[in-house]
Amino acid sequence: MEDRIVKFISALRGGGVRVSLAESADAFRAIQELGIQDRERFRLALRATLVKDAGDIPTFEELFPLFFSSGEAPPLLNLAQDLSPDEAGMIAEALRQFSRKLREMLEKLLRGESLSQQELDQLGQMVGLNRADDLRQREWLARRMAQALRFREVQEALRQLMELLAQMGMNKQRLDQLRQLLQANQQALLEQLRQHAGQRIAENLAQRRPDQGIDDLLNRPFNALSDQDMERLRKEIRRLAALLRSRIALRQKRAKTGQLDAKATIRANLKHGSVPIEIVHRDRTLKPKLIVICDISTSMRYCSELMLSLVYCLQDQISKTHAFAFIDHLEYISPDFAGRAPNEAVAGVLARMPSGHYNTDLGFSLEQFSRSFLDTMDSRTTFIVVGDGRNNYNDPRLDIFSTLARRSHRTIWLNPEAPMLWATGDSDMLKYAPLCHTILQVGTLAELTAAVDRFLIQR
Amino acid sequence: MSTRTFSTPAKLKDALGEQQYIANDEIATIMYLSQQLGKPLLTEGPAGVGKTELAKAIAGATGRELIRLQCYEGLDETKALYEWEYAKQLLYTQLLRDKLQETLAGATGLAAAADRLAAEEDVFFSMRFLLQRPLLKAILSKEPTVLLIDEIDRADAEFEAFLLEVLSDFQVSVPELGTLTAVHRPLVVLTSNNTRELSEALKRRCLYLFIDYPTVDQELAMVRLKVPELAPRLARQAVELVHRLRAMDLRKSPSISETLDWAKALVTLNARQLDQQTLETTLSVLLKHESDLQRVEGELTRTEPDIESRPPRRPRLDDDDDFARYRRNN
Repeated sequence: MEDRIVKFISALRGGGVRVSLAESADAFRAIQELGIQDRERFRLALRATLVKDAGDIPTFEELFPLFFSSGEAPPLLNLAQDLSPDEAGMIAEALRQFSRKLREMLEKLLRGESLSQQELDQLGQMVGLNRADDLRQREWLARRMAQALRFREVQEALRQLMELLAQMGMNKQRLDQLRQLLQANQQALLEQLRQHAGQRIAENLAQRRPDQGIDDLLNRPFNALSDQDMERLRKEIRRLAALLRSRIALRQKRAKTGQLDAKATIRANLKHGSVPIEIVHRDRTLKPKLIVICDISTSMRYCSELMLSLVYCLQDQISKTHAFAFIDHLEYISPDFAGRAPNEAVAGVLARMPSGHYNTDLGFSLEQFSRSFLDTMDSRTTFIVVGDGRNNYNDPRLDIFSTLARRSHRTIWLNPEAPMLWATGDSDMLKYAPLCHTILQVGTLAELTAAVDRFLIQR
Repeated sequence: MSTRTFSTPAKLKDALGEQQYIANDEIATIMYLSQQLGKPLLTEGPAGVGKTELAKAIAGATGRELIRLQCYEGLDETKALYEWEYAKQLLYTQLLRDKLQETLAGATGLAAAADRLAAEEDVFFSMRFLLQRPLLKAILSKEPTVLLIDEIDRADAEFEAFLLEVLSDFQVSVPELGTLTAVHRPLVVLTSNNTRELSEALKRRCLYLFIDYPTVDQELAMVRLKVPELAPRLARQAVELVHRLRAMDLRKSPSISETLDWAKALVTLNARQLDQQTLETTLSVLLKHESDLQRVEGELTRTEPDIESRPPRRPRLDDDDDFARYRRNN
């Protein structure tokens, strides 16, 4: 049993749930308390100790029955038992008319035999079950296995068998009964296949190394990511955001032990007759203010989702963040983010500003910004531009950009393109470059993380 | 009052029931685990599903005192743990001036006087002048307590890190006094509305309980318990309507307490059935946003005829939309 639980935990990890060693130890202690007789309690004990995020509960609930169900195939009914010798003869006669393979299958169904482990393994091998490690493939694989069993042909054969039996003069009521039972048996067989597929996948999940290759993923360029990678990256970004948060907190705490604030100390100690009992330090507020302008045009689409997720996380962490997105004009997107789940918020922005034939125009967007939102920018603000600087030969409006750069505390440009591409085509990057304090190439998530860390240092 | 522990989850469930808290097996089992393992319990879920109420009920059921720490942005150690009472210290020095002079009399030189004063220092940094905030109170309490840390997600991450230390060892160090260790391990219940992700480290130290909206039957039982005056048929209709509202995409879904308020309103108004007029006059008890109200009224008038025949929609845990909505609502 312990072995099974350990396997279950590694399957959870494989499924993307973060389970620490301490938590698995807790799980065992919890089971000691509650015992394993009561399946429901056992499930709750595991869930309360292993899953700490409401979003991970569905993964848990899906995996749990695969590991801790009775493991027996659903019962199939034996039809041959309650047939009269007459009827059995008829069936045998009818069966003779089918090919061997189909006959075997039909006999199995009639006798209510489930598939043996060997047969299941064989089927699994045929459809590539051994390599599957994603529960979403379960239904599909079960269907593939049914196909490999020639289920459709068997169904067709059953229909013919029924007709044959009817012709042979079997009682109609009896025939209906038989048909129903056979159908139930088919269902049970399918269920067995489903179970087998689920169990195999779960076992594969357990064997998969958790977080396999996340480092590799971190260092892969954004435009070389598959959908599956994106899902994992999104998770990773969320985790990074939480890390960032505690890092910010640490910095803000350290800043508290600053200079002595004489004025505040005197004021605070008036109640003690000006005896300086309470010492007040100058609170060096390092609360960063951010203005982010994010390019989501066609040339940036491959990474705009991740970039927007990053913007979302920044806004989540730093309350004074104003986020904008632009293609040919600027849109204020902070309200889109407020109070919505990350994926949804990002998808919402991308849907609101679909990429199309219109051209990227940073110059015009900057002009719009300085017209409507200039008051949000002051000397404490870090101004971040996310984009590739490809301006479609529009006016880059360097005048506005330099005003903004001067007005802000720091100007940081995040560019997913490599520097050698900056001078090519319609890129205005080299014109903007002298006006920025820092330009960071963020082609991979690892670089992105390092970049974000630098915003927060603010020195 | 003597405190109780429970030997099985079922007994815990019954005891919670005596406190007028209807717990399902899930809540009772995990609460029981928390008691047995001595681990804090982190409860999450939509607003108004009775997370705070659970802590109160468990305090009542175990006969322990409830100590509540309400978190908010900017909460720090001085508000959560302890603070020296400067004013009181000062007052005492003033009042004890004669005594001090007596102590210092005869001292030759400043250094000798300072030494003598230092010998008396302990008087001023003793428990007498320590203002105990909830965390320290829970640690120092002679009787076992229930410590409720409410809405932990509102506190800063910095405070969360500080809390880790307290929750893992149940001891705090006060520089002037040394390390204070808990006499009894309090039962700790943390609640969160998930406005932000809590740190992994904190989650790791807690047991996790996700409380979702109750099923129709559970909620009906609550209504029957708390508002027994409401006619059973009407109560069922009301609860089913609330469940329909929760299945809709509203800015704020009605919580359990709002269901109860509504049930009371129906009793007060002597409502016999949920007709158009009753709904219009009382819906504002359930829905607190104008846009929600308008939407629901539109929806209800459209489907009014089959209001009774419709099967209730139950919020399911495995429904992705529910999670999305839950996150959005918070």
